[in-house]
Amino acid sequence: MSPAMSGQLEKIRGLKYIGVVELASQAARILAEIGTTQDRGTVSEMPDERTLRYYLAEGLLSPATEKQGTASVFGYLHLLQLLVVKKLQSEHLPIRKIKELVDGRTERELERLLGLDAKAGAKNEALSYLEKLLTSPSAPSPRSQLLNNPAGDMARPAPLASAARQSAPQQQGQATWARVEIEPGLELHVRGDYAPPTETKGVRRLTRLLLNALEGYRGNMRK
Amino acid sequence: MGHQLPQIELLTPRAKLAAGREQTLDVLIRVTPPEPQAVDAARRRPALNLSLVLDRSGSMGGAKIQHAREAARYCIDQLLPTDRLSVVIFDEAIEVLIPSQPAANKAALKESLAHIHARGSTALHEAWVRGGIQVSEHLSDAGINRVLLITDGQANVGLTNTDEIVTQSLNLHRRGVSTSTIGIGTDFNEDLLLPMAEAGGGNAWHVETADDMGRIFSVELEGLIAQVGHTVTLSLVPADGARIVDLLNDFELNETGRYKLPNLQAGQTLEVVAQVRVPAREAGVRLRLLDLKLGYTPQEAKSAEVVRQYLEVEFAPEEETEALPLNNAVVKAVQMLMNARARREAIAYMDAGDYDSYREVVSASIASSRFAFAPMQADADVLAELSSLEALSDTADDRHQDQLNRKRLSYRSHDLSRSKR
Repeated sequence: MSPAMSGQLEKIRGLKYIGVVELASQAARILAEIGTTQDRGTVSEMPDERTLRYYLAEGLLSPATEKQGTASVFGYLHLLQLLVVKKLQSEHLPIRKIKELVDGRTERELERLLGLDAKAGAKNEALSYLEKLLTSPSAPSPRSQLLNNPAGDMARPAPLASAARQSAPQQQGQATWARVEIEPGLELHVRGDYAPPTETKGVRRLTRLLLNALEGYRGNMRK
Repeated sequence: MGHQLPQIELLTPRAKLAAGREQTLDVLIRVTPPEPQAVDAARRRPALNLSLVLDRSGSMGGAKIQHAREAARYCIDQLLPTDRLSVVIFDEAIEVLIPSQPAANKAALKESLAHIHARGSTALHEAWVRGGIQVSEHLSDAGINRVLLITDGQANVGLTNTDEIVTQSLNLHRRGVSTSTIGIGTDFNEDLLLPMAEAGGGNAWHVETADDMGRIFSVELEGLIAQVGHTVTLSLVPADGARIVDLLNDFELNETGRYKLPNLQAGQTLEVVAQVRVPAREAGVRLRLLDLKLGYTPQEAKSAEVVRQYLEVEFAPEEETEALPLNNAVVKAVQMLMNARARREAIAYMDAGDYDSYREVVSASIASSRFAFAPMQADADVLAELSSLEALSDTADDRHQDQLNRKRLSYRSHDLSRSKR
């Protein structure tokens, strides 16, 4: 993001917006200046009142914490949330993913997502690397997905000899796992492709294995 | 005045080599990092920039989460106001409980830890990334920037691919932030946590019982404080006609063909064993057999330093060399590294379900260790190693013990290769 925008935001840090209309027009002004354009028909070019109400309902925008009469009062945090949503939409991220990225972020984190840092331009490599991991379209989306989702666009050096050596025997890294609660205090860790037995013999065998494993575990704990 | 250099010693099993035949020689390379000068030690330790990334998924309930909280409190107590700390807690969701800040208001920091309770599943990868961000935002050039990941579970939410996470840990380390991992109990994935710490330039710890946590934490912190150099490499150039056949530590090679060694820590001598094929020479000949270069970056400097050393050997008639005493330090180092390898072999057999071979590897290690260690029976390292092997042998037929034994094998093997006995 341009230094021009950084200067823009610097000036409006303390401002308040009475009602969604004011917030929308402020965001529209900033977006117009920096020229973020949406090239998909489904995404509204500039945020309007209706869009903002939708964002509020979807949790992309935090609810206002202040009221003036019946109007909600929004602040810098909300403006940043809105700008980030627009920016990420222009990068073709789905709403679900955007919500995860915006949800619970502080002003500082949102500024960073916008590419504005206190030390603009002097961002260190470690930070930009990690942020890329978070915002990459194929990055993990922990709240809604249990699927294994390798970051496909990441440059991968040759596999580490030791990692390959150590993980070769057990290919568990490749699998999809889910936890299933059996009863309070007991959870099962189940691989996506696991099919439980259906016939009596198989069920009996599984029960025995399970009880043996639990007994062994309790035995270990006592040692 | 500059800093002191690491000391390098080169040792062979006997003082002279048998003349008149080709042979394979074990060369022990001992790297002893400088001790910080006593007066300066407390004041001059590198600043720490830490993020504790703590699993609070359902399985961490009870004693584990309690010990983890205590360990985090302990950590806060040890920090100086010039250090930075952040705490990230995770299950399937991630929360930056304490954003990175100077460890100044210790009471308030500790108060925040009271809110950690166990619940949910394990979004290990993203939590690690968030911890990394906390550290990276305040990256310290001369200090130590580290994420300490504490978990008892397997990554099962978000990115779970082991190789991907390990690669990312390496990439982050190259950008100045290292990662240590603490695996608790028997259910975590050592094939993720061990390589993640190794690639991440940190330490890998296995805590068998929750009450061990405090001890591990203090060792990790002391290690951080004692770190005197990082990005350590070793290059070995043999004389004409000689060649390196093996490096028993199995260190990886970097892009320029140098071995990558662990970070240098004051008080922690690193022992590396190279096997060198030596050409036949006449009795009385002296040969400059091996030239060595140790490269490293001192903690408070930005540029790398190099220390050079070489090994000269003398040849004598075999009757004479046979009568020379064996250097126990060399024998011990070789045996420890062979036992590390045997453990990796045992893991492969265990994974393949070949328990006969598994038992055989363990028994063979015990037998060769008893023989090699016979002259050093009072040595504490030797006693610990023998009892570790015997414990494996005692439980080799108990399949319920496999999960725990596999972790013991992995971590012990890793530690022995790095002279952590």
